[in-house]
Amino acid sequence: MNLMKNASLMEQLAASYALGTLRGGARRRFEALARNNATLRAAALLWQSRMSSVAELQPQIAPSAAVWKRIENLVNADKQAAAMKAARAQPAKAPAVGWWASLGVWRGATAAGALTAVVAVVTGMGASNRVDQLSAQVAQLSGKLAATPEIQYVAVLADDKSSASMLVTFDPKSSKLVLKRVGGFKEQADKSLQLWALPPGAGPKSLGVLGSDAVVRLTAADRDVREVPTLAISLEPKGGVPAGSGPSGPVLFKGALIETAP
Amino acid sequence: MLFMNPESPPSLDLQLITLLDRVALADEVALRELYDLTSSKLYGVAVRVVTNREWAEDVLQEAFLNIWRIAGDYKASLSPPMAWMALVVRSRGVDFLRRRNSDRADAVQELDDVISDTVAGNSPNPMDTTQASEQAKALHACLSKLDNKQREVVSLAYMRDLSHAELAEQLKLPLGTVKTWIRRGLEQLRGCMSRFA
Repeated sequence: MNLMKNASLMEQLAASYALGTLRGGARRRFEALARNNATLRAAALLWQSRMSSVAELQPQIAPSAAVWKRIENLVNADKQAAAMKAARAQPAKAPAVGWWASLGVWRGATAAGALTAVVAVVTGMGASNRVDQLSAQVAQLSGKLAATPEIQYVAVLADDKSSASMLVTFDPKSSKLVLKRVGGFKEQADKSLQLWALPPGAGPKSLGVLGSDAVVRLTAADRDVREVPTLAISLEPKGGVPAGSGPSGPVLFKGALIETAP
Repeated sequence: MLFMNPESPPSLDLQLITLLDRVALADEVALRELYDLTSSKLYGVAVRVVTNREWAEDVLQEAFLNIWRIAGDYKASLSPPMAWMALVVRSRGVDFLRRRNSDRADAVQELDDVISDTVAGNSPNPMDTTQASEQAKALHACLSKLDNKQREVVSLAYMRDLSHAELAEQLKLPLGTVKTWIRRGLEQLRGCMSRFA
């Protein structure tokens, strides 16, 4: 039988193709024919479109409110990651404004002393060629930082006014979380700050209690940090909440955790 | 009847298309509006594919992140916007099941029981035409004329991307029966849909 002369067989095959039940060799033969025959191709496209409406006819069920919250967190992380990537794409090109915001500098904060060195050089220079010097320094610094790929995650935790208060980096190789206080916040003597991972679809997971030093090092398992969209810091009684319980005090700072490794 | 009535207020389709355009430009407010308009329908799709509400929430979440990233692709599609988004959800759902089924054989078993109950009961699987495009309304009219069993296997084959053999296995039916139901279902659908051009 010549398929092309049998309109109803063509339609039937096109419908099975669109439904997905035409499989294997039959499917491949159909596709080869459709590539060379506009009528068959049109029938296949029409049926694909019709079948797509099967999905439209499913009954509605309201999802829980938590789903949007999770989507929002992921979208924010996505946006920040895109912004970071854009900033990294041209680290030495736009030093005057953009470089503070660039990830290279944030990563530099943990590359011991490098940042301090740049600042010292900059302040010691005459104003005239400061920008050129800075640009060269940034290029050099970016080079150094590129050679320290172990920082795979970074987060800037901010308060509700969006001022950065805590810089967090995570190195999965050594399982080290490093927190650097960058704002002026100081908790009272009888309080502690506690760091939480906010995994999608689960309760907050404690990553540890912060000491009062400017730089805090915590150990965290890779799986507790990877694929967590958001980190948060709450104010807790001295020493933090008992193991296994969630945060009891207010969340002071939070931010998206961004994977920096390409 | 397939064309929009020019006197009606902006259709849902047009609203959704405008929102998808804005989402393509990384507009988060538009994403929220899109979610508010579509999440119940799309969650229904996810539940239908994976059958478990908790898994369906994961699927819906993944699908919306996906829509956020690929909203610009909608332009190239000729499908109604809800159908396009529902397909994103379906793909995420089918992927989810494949990942899960390769991990846990007992999960598949649970799923099979749920599905074979649906078909065995011969109760009409509810279809919902609120928010449906003109095309979906036409399909609904035609699917309504099928036997419950035929409609259910056609709908399941599509929603879960199953072959005849997979359907037969999951529904605990002879392969020949499944093939016959699908063939007859499609024949009837073909005759009926041709009236809608």
